[in-house]
Amino acid sequence: MLETTRFEGRQRVRGSLALALLLGVFSLLIIYIFPSIAESAADIDAMIDALPESFREGFGAETYTTIEGFVAAELYQFIWVLLLGLYMAYTAGGTLADDVDSGRVYLVLATPIARTQLVLEKFLALFVPIVVLTLLVPLFVFGGTLAIDYPLDPVYLIAVHVLSIPYLLVCAGIGLVLSVVFDRGDVAQRGGIAVVFLLFLLDSVTAGTDVEWLGAVSPTRYIDPTEILLHESLELGDAVLLLGVALALVLLSVVSFEDRDV
Amino acid sequence: MSGHTMAAIEVNGLTKSYGETVANDDLTFSIERGEIFGYLGPNGAGKSTTIRQLLGFQSPTEGTATVLGADVRDQRALRSVKSRIGYLPGEPAFTESVTGQEFLDYQAALKGDSRREELLELFTPPLDRKIREYSTGNKQMLGIVQAFMHDPDLLVMDEPTSGLDPLKQEAFNAFLREERERGKTVFFSSHILGEVRRVCDRVGIIRDGRLVTVETVDDLLARGGKRVRVHTAEPLSRAELARDGVVDFESEGRVAQFTFTGDFNRLFEELSGHRIVDVEIDEPPIEEVFMHFYGGEDGA
Repeated sequence: MLETTRFEGRQRVRGSLALALLLGVFSLLIIYIFPSIAESAADIDAMIDALPESFREGFGAETYTTIEGFVAAELYQFIWVLLLGLYMAYTAGGTLADDVDSGRVYLVLATPIARTQLVLEKFLALFVPIVVLTLLVPLFVFGGTLAIDYPLDPVYLIAVHVLSIPYLLVCAGIGLVLSVVFDRGDVAQRGGIAVVFLLFLLDSVTAGTDVEWLGAVSPTRYIDPTEILLHESLELGDAVLLLGVALALVLLSVVSFEDRDV
Repeated sequence: MSGHTMAAIEVNGLTKSYGETVANDDLTFSIERGEIFGYLGPNGAGKSTTIRQLLGFQSPTEGTATVLGADVRDQRALRSVKSRIGYLPGEPAFTESVTGQEFLDYQAALKGDSRREELLELFTPPLDRKIREYSTGNKQMLGIVQAFMHDPDLLVMDEPTSGLDPLKQEAFNAFLREERERGKTVFFSSHILGEVRRVCDRVGIIRDGRLVTVETVDDLLARGGKRVRVHTAEPLSRAELARDGVVDFESEGRVAQFTFTGDFNRLFEELSGHRIVDVEIDEPPIEEVFMHFYGGEDGA
């Protein structure tokens, strides 16, 4: 059991650590400029209010004068929800399609492993970047806010990370489905990026309009770092919903991989 | 052919089409336990398609096959015999970022590796290097090691000697013969008749998705005929010879050359009308026997 997850997971460790370091350093840079914004005479919040609602919603920009609002918008909405969502969809897109594309999958499927198990184990290996990032990046963020003397509440910081795991799993699930449907790795990867980005846009542009309900199909609607960090409200129901969707996407992948030609 | 419950592989009306293209057209043949069976055909004939169906990677459009008794359409049944099958794909592809050692460890975890060390004495890929750095020959050797390392009863291999240098090819062929002595069944595809002649008991020839013939190597060579070269005083034309049995007739001045598969008495009767300067009758080059099945309609 889990031979494939171990094999695949090991290959993801270095990349995940590098990504965590990169995001960690980037977080420090962002946090480092916060005091100058907070203490600046310009009324930045008035500027934010003047932005179109879809923009504010898309980037969760509500207030830049509190560390919670600033970190939520600059770091979490943008890096965590958008970029990391795209990254997970892209990475998952490569899982099976790349193997089928290159012919690597033959040497694995020739062994007594079940196709279902292969799909599940490959998906499980995607937990490596998620876990590494979830463990390391908050340390940078918390350390950074301590250093500038505007400490975040660690409870809600951890909550942002934990509650975004179901969201990232949905993005990975989208990539996985595409990876099973397409037999070219680059198509599945680009497709994953396109789908997650379009869903993000759909959620943003419909915010505050009559067709706001359209954005409800986007996973980005169910994760709101600003809500958690700034308003300290935890939508556990949304997280459970995302987990359910992620599970459904994985099941869909398993079923469609079972009978397809490779 | 059906009814041999002891057959290692039994292919029954196997058909695979991709849209309009029929890659395998109603193939029926069987491979007995303990034999080495060569699956011959030019590139694009449908050899790999057959093999991929035997391993359950692709499902037949029509017909089916059993491998060690398991129906290839039944993934569960097929999976239960996979630990007894060794498989080597054509131009095997690996995760390039791992070392040969890591790859073999992964494969070992999936299916076992009781013969790994022994095989690594014969086939020597640089295990501590990343597969990315491997030459084609090294990748092929790594593929061979993984195919045999769990000591399977049946080997299914797609062009196993391609990419190996001649010495390793010879070592591989000798190894295959030893494996047959140990009771293994081997099914491999090739487009090189020479190597098939050296190791196989029987061959199946596939062309354009259709099975042309299945026969023993001895019969195939006998049917391949002889290469005849006749030097006559006056030029000899194709029309002067019997229509039967003369293949690939070529003439250059007073020297004519052809492959002859018919009755020599009739040939000599026909030639007796000519003044013959010289005659040579030889074993045909093995590739020509092959051409006999692949070449134009007059060879079919």
